[in-house]
Amino acid sequence: MTTPDVLQLEGVSRHFGGVPAVDNVSMTVRAGAITGLIGPNGAGKTTVVNLVMGLLHLSEGRVLLSGRDVSRLEAADLARSGVARTFQNVRLVPNDTVLDNVLSGFHRHQTAGMFANVFGLPSARAEAKRHMAEARVLLERFQMTQFAGHRASALSYGHQRRIEMMRALAMKPQLLLLDEPVAGMNDTEAASLGTIFKEIAAEGVAVLLIEHNMRFVSSICSYLYVLSSGRLISEGLPGAVLKDQKVVEAYLGAA
Amino acid sequence: MLTQQLFNGVVIGSVYALFALGFTLLFGVNHILNMAFGSVFMWGAFAGLYAVTVLDLPFWLALIAGMLGGGIVSCLVDLVAFMPLRRRQAPDFSGIVSSIGANLILLMIAQKVSNTQIMRFPFDTFPIVIFQVFGLRIQLLQLIIIGTALLMVVVLVSLLYRTGLGRRIRSVAFSEGTSKLLGINSSLVNAQVFFLSGAMAGAAGVLIGLTFNSVHYLMGEPFLMQAFAVIILGGLGSIPGALLAGLLIGLVQAMSFAYISSAAADAITFAVLFLIILVRPTGLFGKASTILRVQRR
Amino acid sequence: MMDLFLAYEATVDHILVYALLAMSQYIVMRGGTFSVGTAGFAAIGGYGTAILITRAGWPPAAAIAAGTIIAMAVSAVMALPLSRLRGVFQAVATMAFVQVLVTVILNWDSLTRGALGISGIPKVVTTGWLLLIVAVVVVFLHVLGRFSIGKAMDVIREDETVAVSLGIRVIPHQALSLVISGALGGLGGAMFACNSYAITAEDFGFGMLNNALAMTVLGGRKSVWGPLIGAVVLVILPEVFRPFAEYRYVFQGALLMLVIIYLPNGVADTLFAAIRERRVRSSTSAAAARTS
Repeated sequence: MTTPDVLQLEGVSRHFGGVPAVDNVSMTVRAGAITGLIGPNGAGKTTVVNLVMGLLHLSEGRVLLSGRDVSRLEAADLARSGVARTFQNVRLVPNDTVLDNVLSGFHRHQTAGMFANVFGLPSARAEAKRHMAEARVLLERFQMTQFAGHRASALSYGHQRRIEMMRALAMKPQLLLLDEPVAGMNDTEAASLGTIFKEIAAEGVAVLLIEHNMRFVSSICSYLYVLSSGRLISEGLPGAVLKDQKVVEAYLGAA
Repeated sequence: MLTQQLFNGVVIGSVYALFALGFTLLFGVNHILNMAFGSVFMWGAFAGLYAVTVLDLPFWLALIAGMLGGGIVSCLVDLVAFMPLRRRQAPDFSGIVSSIGANLILLMIAQKVSNTQIMRFPFDTFPIVIFQVFGLRIQLLQLIIIGTALLMVVVLVSLLYRTGLGRRIRSVAFSEGTSKLLGINSSLVNAQVFFLSGAMAGAAGVLIGLTFNSVHYLMGEPFLMQAFAVIILGGLGSIPGALLAGLLIGLVQAMSFAYISSAAADAITFAVLFLIILVRPTGLFGKASTILRVQRR
Repeated sequence: MMDLFLAYEATVDHILVYALLAMSQYIVMRGGTFSVGTAGFAAIGGYGTAILITRAGWPPAAAIAAGTIIAMAVSAVMALPLSRLRGVFQAVATMAFVQVLVTVILNWDSLTRGALGISGIPKVVTTGWLLLIVAVVVVFLHVLGRFSIGKAMDVIREDETVAVSLGIRVIPHQALSLVISGALGGLGGAMFACNSYAITAEDFGFGMLNNALAMTVLGGRKSVWGPLIGAVVLVILPEVFRPFAEYRYVFQGALLMLVIIYLPNGVADTLFAAIRERRVRSSTSAAAARTS
């Protein structure tokens, strides 16, 4: 049974030598919607991401993925459980082609066994073909078919972001974590990426968006959490949250 | 006699510690395994030797010449083998390969210059003064060695924790990028660290060359392997660890040498090293995060 | 033509044996494992095979198989603990491994005849056999590299954080590459023994370690052509530079440094990437020409 509550943080804290970087944070990210996590610089957003992604131990609290406690799961296993992410600084394999980068997202769905893959048996070949076909579908959807054979590092920043998206979608995740995906983009580029995010959410994926760009956030998020100095200071619908005095102060205070 | 062997072990251990201190300093700051470090040690010995045989300098100046020689060769290695990689932000693995290449070149030049001969310090370079204490036969030179190692530890620790240079070194060791943002000239700091570690290795080279009465182009290689054992046992980047581990390994070696055989001494050290890496890679004082792969921290 | 070949038979054999050793080094590096244990595995394979043939009277084929399997078993034992460590430690551990083996071989006189080495090994491995075995290994590694395991190794090598975020488990892949490396190293050592009449401990020391490493660095860590090209170049180079024989190691050292700084991906991979670039660029300009 798939719960609509895909990601739940319950009283999550992380201390670094007595200093709480994240303090008693509880959040829910639902399937089919884009949930936003915002806050001034140094608020602890990256720490939350790292806690969810399995790169940091939790000092307190739990993280639940579709009802299952994944607080102690290692990063690779979390990914295998259906958690995909994009990186703040786009991390692709720069010298590989666009197609190869996208194909790397299919590793989670390996069904052919190790033996078949080592010796190139028919089951492995068939699977490789399937993944190739699915990759091409993704390229088509993101209008990057003509770039399939191009080296990833030769393309523009906007294109590289799309490659990262395709790679993440290749994983067919239940939770997609977007780490400042439109940083450094102009409004048009951001808007077109935002449309894609909405499509992904509409397909049933739970999307957690970490972003600074307020306009962008209010245009596509259906729920917001605001972090400041490691604590949640506000949450709710974008319209209300962004008018919240505490939120305004946190941003002004940090400026 | 047992106590004599123990003392010998402490002496050998001090030399290992001296060598390893430079190595661990370099590793702590750069996170690279400098495979050419054995040659730096060897060239320090060469420099000290030529200072005595060609320039007719007394022991103390020869020691300084050795330190200078080691420091300069070390900086050269940095310039040619490591700096171009840092500029290109190459992975750690490249540094190791590059230093293997540099080592080959340094070895061959030394071989040519020395004609593959085993050279010796002239007899009168250091006075042979022997103390008989508690039934132990102690040479002045051996005391100097132990003293130098201890002195170096003290100097290094005070340098690192009480001076501006030390702060800059620790900053670069923690994060080169952040240090640059803070206005620290990381290239200069790197050069200084290379010089410092090379000087320590050079001093070790001269002392060892005197003690074992032999200076030859391959003398550094076994020390490099011992250095691995020392820094891994002691914990990476840990200075007290390097001293302690150096002494421990020196003791183990002296015992094996005396009671089993010289070949066994080496084999035992490397086997211990191998097992330690597999079983307890953090050593005595190291941190797991520096050693193990991507995992929850 | 045949005469020319026979004259250079020794060199060709040398290249083929080293191709195996280089491929043993290559497969670990493809997966981002910094093991330099190939020389150690070769020592086990070589000495194991030689001892079984000369002292236990085993038929060569069985001895070679046994030598390879023992080497593989040793690498299998080391594989998991080594895979948990970062690259630098893998390098140090495997260096120590090689050193320990050489010392053991030199001193276990009763088994290995110590410094004398083992001689009188029948030269059953001819050029033909070497060609066949190298070809089989090349095909095997090529196939391995084409599917998910090879592809996963590529991601691990390039960016471990990304690999983990994609659900690729690093440790099993590195462990597998170590086991294959052990098998190939052992096989290479066994081939070496049965092609050389005599072997000594020195054959399997730091010289071999450096050679295998240099070949892989020079040739490339991704395509299986990398170690092949590396083996050809590094065996032939000293022959070319024979007049400068004593400076041979200076050249090798300089080569290592120059390649790792200016051509870090190796000759083969850089070449293939450049060819691919040219093809992409010409097809893009052709497409642009068509639309304009």
